[in-house]
Amino acid sequence: MTDKTLSPSALRRRDQYRWSALGFIAPGVLLVAVLLYLPLLWTTFLSLTEYNGLGDPEWIGIENYVEMFDDPGFIGSVLNTLLWVAGTLLVPVGIGLGVALLTWNLKGGTWLRLPFLIPYALSGIGVGVIWSFILSGDGALDQALAAFGIDDTPRWLVDAPLNTVVMILATAWQGVGVNALLFTIGLQSIPREPLEAAKMDGANGLRMFRSILWPMLRPLTAVVVGLSIVASLKTFDIVQGMTKGGPGRDSETLALTMYKETFVNSEYGLGSAIAVFLTVVTLIASILYLRQQLSSKHGA
Amino acid sequence: MQFKSTARVIRTSVLAVLGLIWLLPVYLLLVNAAKSPETFTTKESWLPTDFSLFGNIAEALELSGLAESAASTLLYSVVSPAIAVLVGAAAGFAIVALRLRHGFAWFVAIFGGTVFPLQMILLPLFDAYSRTGLFDTQAGMIVVYTAISIPFSAFVMRNFFSGIAHNVFEAAVIDGATTWRIFARVYLPMASSALVAIFILQATFIWNDFLLGLVLSQSDTVRPIVTSLAGMQSTYGGAQMSTVLAGGLLVSLPTVVLFLFTQKFFARGLALGQY
Repeated sequence: MTDKTLSPSALRRRDQYRWSALGFIAPGVLLVAVLLYLPLLWTTFLSLTEYNGLGDPEWIGIENYVEMFDDPGFIGSVLNTLLWVAGTLLVPVGIGLGVALLTWNLKGGTWLRLPFLIPYALSGIGVGVIWSFILSGDGALDQALAAFGIDDTPRWLVDAPLNTVVMILATAWQGVGVNALLFTIGLQSIPREPLEAAKMDGANGLRMFRSILWPMLRPLTAVVVGLSIVASLKTFDIVQGMTKGGPGRDSETLALTMYKETFVNSEYGLGSAIAVFLTVVTLIASILYLRQQLSSKHGA
Repeated sequence: MQFKSTARVIRTSVLAVLGLIWLLPVYLLLVNAAKSPETFTTKESWLPTDFSLFGNIAEALELSGLAESAASTLLYSVVSPAIAVLVGAAAGFAIVALRLRHGFAWFVAIFGGTVFPLQMILLPLFDAYSRTGLFDTQAGMIVVYTAISIPFSAFVMRNFFSGIAHNVFEAAVIDGATTWRIFARVYLPMASSALVAIFILQATFIWNDFLLGLVLSQSDTVRPIVTSLAGMQSTYGGAQMSTVLAGGLLVSLPTVVLFLFTQKFFARGLALGQY
């Protein structure tokens, strides 16, 4: 519809509508600006200061960042976080894809997918409560292993880096379902024709996956991988629930180190520097999937 | 044909075995949450002994103020997503239907609020909340949960409204409807399924929040339920494990049930937002 078909009064009204657009967007912009962006800027500023909540922040430049990288505990925390990123890519994303492929076009597939979906809506703390119980000394897992004659089990939540590995597996228990659901949506959106054609040509399962399914799932895989990386970088709840980063600082992740420095040690400047570091890493990882999201949606 | 049905049997069996493994922790949770504190032992976890589940749940509600937390958390996870959905829809409406100038820039500004980790805002929020009296108040929790739900909500609603032909809007303009009327009477009703999808996703997210509750609240009446559960686990995890497990079950049940019954909406929300 062009402007010519609108009467002058309707045109005037449409100009008013453009103004009222500001009114419609204002609540969202204001809330996000005040509660998300202002704190973000303040944290960035605090990362360059010495501050413990009393008096005024004192400018010290990049000293917090220097101190951060000198701290072996921080380096350990970075390594644990990398282990989380790699582990959650390998296990929940991998098994999620596997479950989606296995249930795809399978009679009763919806029901067979159900057990994986049950843990999805649990909180990280809920998952932690269940698995802390299972993994405790002489707990359910040790009892099961003893039944098979394995008595000499490690201390699952104490020995590092095993404790991080078992927490990744607990997270995988929760995360497989949603990845399977996402990959299933992806598989269902693949057009039938190329699949039929490949079947006619006698392509077997593996070839079909490599030459057709995998390329067609690529955009979705980028999203799932991006989300998984971003979520695992922020890992906090389950570790705080299961080991509190211990023993000592052995299973700390970056999010946990930030929390401890800030709210336990009252090192506001140092805690903020860790938050900034975590944010920069997360942003770099986000670009991977944001590009995908925005470009596919901003087409118009 | 023979090959095909063999493949089907193999696929089904692999899934069934894997699925059973996945259900084992759920089984352990149910069995042990049902043991009375007297018969519960950490040495015998696999076999049920008695059924004191309801007693344990009642006990859990008393410990660590879980009952008060449950009421507050219900309030947060209904009110905040409801506001966020409307605010997000209004933003999407302004950008898509009202063709706000530099709409895409505004959209990126709102959506950008979701890409950085919560750690980046925790300390200033804690500081500001303490100074303004919002710390440890229900209003404070509702405000922060609303704000963090807005970016995703605006993202999905913008995508959704982009799919509505613009002459729907032009027609309403010619009819002389006000923008508010067009929003409330034309656009919102068309978007009801997307609104519900966002609401469910965000309600689940808020119900499961731990970190914001940990930093911004302390009293039993304000503290969200998951944060209370974490407190209960560290205080009573040794002596009253079956009660803690019952608490874990109680806290988890609402979101798990909601999710299983609204999978379709979840999948839709996930697909709409590629979340």
